Amino acid sequence: MIERLSHGPASVHGLTEPFALSQQMISKHIAYLVRARIVIKTKRGRESICTLRPEAIKTVSDWAINYRRFWEESFDKLDVVVNEMKKAEARHDKKHG
Amino acid sequence: MTKNTGNEAERMVVTRIFDAPRELVWKAWTDPQYVMQWWGPKGFTAPVCKMDVRVGGKSLCCMRSPDGQECWNAIEYHEIVPHEKIVSDMYFSDSKGNKIEPAELGIEHEAIEGAHDVTLFEDLGNGKTKLTHIGNEPMESAKNSGQLEGWNQTLDKVAAVVAGLAQAK
Repeated sequence: MIERLSHGPASVHGLTEPFALSQQMISKHIAYLVRARIVIKTKRGRESICTLRPEAIKTVSDWAINYRRFWEESFDKLDVVVNEMKKAEARHDKKHG
Repeated sequence: MTKNTGNEAERMVVTRIFDAPRELVWKAWTDPQYVMQWWGPKGFTAPVCKMDVRVGGKSLCCMRSPDGQECWNAIEYHEIVPHEKIVSDMYFSDSKGNKIEPAELGIEHEAIEGAHDVTLFEDLGNGKTKLTHIGNEPMESAKNSGQLEGWNQTLDKVAAVVAGLAQAK
């Protein structure tokens, strides 16, 4: 849910859609996040809009929210490093081979 | 409890095929000189990386976000099969490697009790390596996952594998 909110504010209804949970369950989860001071809930007309608290984003520094993203993006960088290592090895072999 | 019942969905699995031999990928994964170059998401740097990759050892890595915020992670090792497999625990820590509860950092983290990270290095031949990182693996299946992965991948190539092993001897 925090992952979803890291892309921008969303209504409670919008937050319910991607999950196979009832709106009641989602509301409960949101209430928990509001209590933990991670999410702010504001009324816009009849809808409740959820926003990540900027301070929470700063503390959490959104990579930490998403373990998968941490690894996917680290792997992207690892790929570059491995290729560099391979090139360096090839150069080394040429020099000494 | 030892039965492999579900929780599959809760596990995070990230795989990547590298166009490099397994020894090289292992080196990039375990040598601090290289880990510093890739640890952390896009835009992050890793100013500090101390690696002690052995059973009972502990590594400590710091990553710095684009806006200069630093975050430390410690890794403890439970099982190491060189060039093949690492079973470890990663957690948030302070700069000394002392564990910090994610909640203290305001992080919503649903860690599974007694679960570990498993990293598998698989030689695909032709100088290619498949890297698999499994998060939150219960210990019992963590112990077996290397074999399981190997079996899944090579079931139809058993003869070739055996021949390869015989050659290596």
